[in-house]
Amino acid sequence: MSAEAGPVHGDEPAPPLSPAPYGPVPYAPSAPPEGVQRQRLHPLTPLLESVRFLTAAAAAVGLQMFTSRNFLFAVYAAVAAAVVGGIASLIALQFRGFVIWGRELHIYGGVFTRSHRTVPLDRLQSVDLVRPLRARVFGLAQLNIEVAGGDGTDARLAYLKHDRALELRSELLSIAGRPGAAPQTAVESTEEAPAAGPAPLVPPVTVRKLAVASLLEALPVQLTALLVFGTAFAVTGSIFGFTQVATALWFGFFAPALLGYLQSTVQMVNRFLRNCRFRITRDGGNLLIERGLTDTSHETVPVDRVTAVSFDEPILWRRKDWRRVEVWTAAVAQSAAVVKSTTALPVGTPDEVSTVAAEAVPELSSVFAVEQPPRRARWRMPLRWKRTGALLDEKVFVVRHGWWVNTYAAVPYARIQSVRVVQGPIQRMQGLASVHAMTAGGVGHTATAAHRDVVEAVAMAAELRKRADAAAALEAPRLS
Amino acid sequence: MNARAVPVWDLWPDGISWQPMSPTLRTVWVLRSLLNVLILAVIAAVPLTIWLGWDGLLWALGGYVVLAGLRALAVSRTVRTWGYAERDQDLLVRHGLLTRRLSIVPYGRIQLIDLSAGPVERMFGLTTVQVRTAALGSNTEVPGLDPLVAAALRDRLAVRAAEVREGL
Repeated sequence: MSAEAGPVHGDEPAPPLSPAPYGPVPYAPSAPPEGVQRQRLHPLTPLLESVRFLTAAAAAVGLQMFTSRNFLFAVYAAVAAAVVGGIASLIALQFRGFVIWGRELHIYGGVFTRSHRTVPLDRLQSVDLVRPLRARVFGLAQLNIEVAGGDGTDARLAYLKHDRALELRSELLSIAGRPGAAPQTAVESTEEAPAAGPAPLVPPVTVRKLAVASLLEALPVQLTALLVFGTAFAVTGSIFGFTQVATALWFGFFAPALLGYLQSTVQMVNRFLRNCRFRITRDGGNLLIERGLTDTSHETVPVDRVTAVSFDEPILWRRKDWRRVEVWTAAVAQSAAVVKSTTALPVGTPDEVSTVAAEAVPELSSVFAVEQPPRRARWRMPLRWKRTGALLDEKVFVVRHGWWVNTYAAVPYARIQSVRVVQGPIQRMQGLASVHAMTAGGVGHTATAAHRDVVEAVAMAAELRKRADAAAALEAPRLS
Repeated sequence: MNARAVPVWDLWPDGISWQPMSPTLRTVWVLRSLLNVLILAVIAAVPLTIWLGWDGLLWALGGYVVLAGLRALAVSRTVRTWGYAERDQDLLVRHGLLTRRLSIVPYGRIQLIDLSAGPVERMFGLTTVQVRTAALGSNTEVPGLDPLVAAALRDRLAVRAAEVREGL
């Protein structure tokens, strides 16, 4: 194929290869560039990274000890683990480290399989400081460095001393040339508690309020689950009797559903723990988010990297008029399927919500008068229909959807990547079509205006494209 | 409703001049569907033969002829819905018989352009152009182009993408 495609390109030969490869030599992946000292990670790193394995091993040894009543076994195991683990850690540490070289961050790792990751700092999306509980015990921290791109483009630096991590974060941000990356603030906060710095945008969310909000959010799911499982249990019980065998079989049969239910409950608790002590501040061009009860994290979201803002309203929050604000960026999408956006406000009153929204995207309002899809689409979504809609606002494209959790997603026109109009067979019979506006990042980062009138849908897509071009033309071009 | 019969892309406010795919695309896709149904028929023939004796083979053959005919008809109609158009600022691709899709990719957001050709496509001298943006779900395909047309399209897209780079 390339032979046939050749003439189109012209007949000039390809330019000659450069005499020496740029950067570190490829056949020595662990060698730092000459003249630059490789920086080591904290010596406790291997221990902390294998903490799960160690816990499992300790549990196994403990079990063995108690069943065989052989207490010396534990001592042997502990000594062996200490010697082997110590030596392995020493070896592992030799091959791990990182180097900041020019505008690149090089991260080395691996004993048997050497790895060398180069992070172009120009493409930096965000640097998060994360402190899991096990690292906090030793005063350590981890840096998550996110770059825009495909899957697995995030790099981790774990673990570093806390103040060293803060220093490194501000260093990375200043190399990346983030406007208002403000290294001073970060350096200041190395000395004292991170309470310093600019005042928070909204009053801190009290634990009580967050707990109430979490409960209200989880209540419908929990009630439905209890109801479903209770009915299922009663029905099977009345048929087969409440014998032990029948109960055991019942649990076996419903195990997947029960597991799913347990998982969602655990996720709710995790979410609560993660959002405790939430604090959001604006520092120059960045939103700084600090949160977490057991595992703390400091996230930096550059405002010019925000691709969309979404407002969630779980069904039981409606009466309280509370909403949650989440911020989409290109980096967040790839890192995890579980968390598809950064929470900018776990729960807030309309005032707080509008303050945060206006900080995340300039002049973004938080109340939108969306237009519902035509009435003939109602039977397709009887509950959701009233709470579905789309709006071409002045600067943002807004869609609304969902019944359990009603969501408004606002995408600035300049952030829309591509637009798609899709019309299914039933939609065609009804003269409807859906419009998708995609933003950078994962599959979830799509604003969908469902079931619009077909003429309106196509006009909407055309208008979106026009406005996206107009909005992008006003901005300075950004490579990443 | 009048809009029912009109494909979604024909309602676009400004007129668009759609470029058709290469005429051999239909042959290739019909051949491919015939092959796919043949594999199914072979798999189905084994139990049928065990069950019905040698009559099973006849049944498999008959089923194959009917299914393959229907499939070929559907495929050849689908091919006709494919089309692409280059406008000033964006690339439009339409396709789909049951579910109709119209994708609009602005040149400024293009991150990657792929040319690819499978073995059957190569035999008939066809090439597929794939355009990706930074959104993971948006992978727009323009199948069945003449290699020269495909390479020219790729070059035009690449030049336009470099001219109007808009970023994330």
